[in-house]
Amino acid sequence: MQDVLAQQLVNGVTLGFLYVLIAVGLTMVYGVLKLLHFAHGVIYMVGAFAAMVGILYLKMNFFVAMLFAMAVAAGAGMLIEKYAYRPLRGVHPITTLISGIGVAIFLENLFQILFSSEPQAFPEAGIEVSIMQLTESISLTNVKLYIIAAGLLGLAFLYFFLKFTKMGIATQAAAQDLRAASLMGVNVNRVVSVTFMIGSALAAAAGVLVALNFNSLFPTMGSIPGLKAFCVVVLGGLGSIPGTVVGGLILGIIESLSDGFLTGMIIDKDAIAFVILIAILLVKPSGLFGQNVEKV
Amino acid sequence: MDAILNPYYVDIVIFWIIYILLGLGLNLITGYAGQVSLGHAAFFGIGAYSSAILTVTYGVNPWISMIVSIGITFVVSAVLGLPSLRVREDFLAITTLGLGLIVQSFFKNAAITGGAFGIDSIPAPSIFGIELKNAGYLILSTVVMLLAIYALKKMTGSRIGRAWRTIREDETMAQAMGIHTTYYKVLAFAIGGAYAGLAGSLFAHKVSFISAESFGFSVSATVLSMVVLGGLGSIRGTIFGVTLLYFLPEIFRIFEFDLIDPKYLDIYKMMLYGLLMVLVMRFKPKGLFGNFGIKRSQFRFFRKAKAKEGGHVA
Repeated sequence: MQDVLAQQLVNGVTLGFLYVLIAVGLTMVYGVLKLLHFAHGVIYMVGAFAAMVGILYLKMNFFVAMLFAMAVAAGAGMLIEKYAYRPLRGVHPITTLISGIGVAIFLENLFQILFSSEPQAFPEAGIEVSIMQLTESISLTNVKLYIIAAGLLGLAFLYFFLKFTKMGIATQAAAQDLRAASLMGVNVNRVVSVTFMIGSALAAAAGVLVALNFNSLFPTMGSIPGLKAFCVVVLGGLGSIPGTVVGGLILGIIESLSDGFLTGMIIDKDAIAFVILIAILLVKPSGLFGQNVEKV
Repeated sequence: MDAILNPYYVDIVIFWIIYILLGLGLNLITGYAGQVSLGHAAFFGIGAYSSAILTVTYGVNPWISMIVSIGITFVVSAVLGLPSLRVREDFLAITTLGLGLIVQSFFKNAAITGGAFGIDSIPAPSIFGIELKNAGYLILSTVVMLLAIYALKKMTGSRIGRAWRTIREDETMAQAMGIHTTYYKVLAFAIGGAYAGLAGSLFAHKVSFISAESFGFSVSATVLSMVVLGGLGSIRGTIFGVTLLYFLPEIFRIFEFDLIDPKYLDIYKMMLYGLLMVLVMRFKPKGLFGNFGIKRSQFRFFRKAKAKEGGHVA
């Protein structure tokens, strides 16, 4: 019993770091633009496929392919912002919402035509999944370690970016007040582009690692994680990066525990995230770490 | 006559009517009352499942089950609409989306809905001992649709409709004017949901087999794109949007063009829907027949003014 608990906690932390990697982009975008970025889950899928293309056709090493995927995703995120969101800035929020959903539907189906809608195996890339026994019944794979490492690296990168670079400080200013920042000479459009690029690159890293971990990738793989990332963001508090980290870990652990202990439930484990989401929105809409958002 | 009443064409028309009912319901919630809903497929599913469970499990007459299922969706939608009182706009969108996924997950796992197996052999309603199939069902659906359109016209033109539009434009103002916003917002969800429930009931008795797969997010997104293309807050627009998006892919299917592989038709269809959603929002955010308020045009003015200075406004 205790072993199951410990094993599920390990799995939960891994899952949590994946959610953190995906959700950080959403929370940054929300922080700067007050926009719910519905096409973020698709970016995660694009990253996984980019890595596959890199390994299969460009003969890349796994880690090079991952960087390649992050670059492709950053480009895709930037283009989505430029063509689907920027022209709608200042119009009713429903329009950007629908535009984002449209982008997500379009790309998901485009990839089904390009790569078939069936799940495919992730190509061999010189990385073998090896299992480490921590104790007799608790095991860890090297891929899970990569996921945790990627999560920590991503967070460290964000910390340094936001604290010590000029662009990072500009981003923080923009998150405080976009209009005031633009009056202070911050190039807001560039800040927004960079925000989308960083968030998309991190989501792509998560996509590649998930594809490697489950050895499968398919064009609709991003929809559920993308939606769950909203739950993480709302749970932690919109626009708050520490909140996202805590929210992601909480959701990952809850999901793993429910997977290990509750069986035969009336809703499946994917739906738990949404139950939490609705409960949080109704009880404490600002989330665990959020300031009081006037809008909610 | 036989050529016209070819079951295949009749089915196409019946599903078109079902989409119109779905579109009208969603337009009422989102277009008239201004409450974004991304979980419309949930109401559709609740209508279909309640009709199916009543007839198959409890042996209720299909006519009665259809009417009862409208009542059930009305009540359930009102309850599911309660979060709309706490959250707004984009947050309401994720809340309704989450509700939709939870409801679908319930269909997939609960015992009463047959779990992953779904429910089959749902009987068609019969009149004077003759089972309504094909042409009979077409007549029934058409009558139902006409009644639904008439009712919606009456509702939106009345005091209730004016209250909804005021709430959509400015909720605080509506409240200040003495409009009971809580009541009207929940009412919009309840009636819009009942329309979807009616559509679901028609769907269940038509296809005779339902499973959770038919009530996923893609249905919600499809209906939303139809409504948005036609124009929020316009009945004519909804009918036009549904018709356009629904028949465009069917044309390819009926005439069997060699241009594209029919196997990929659904994928191309969804791609087109996605692209249209982006393009319509960008170039005609009110949709083709839209009537979505003055607030937006004020914003547009700001946007134009700002664009000259450097183009950034949150």
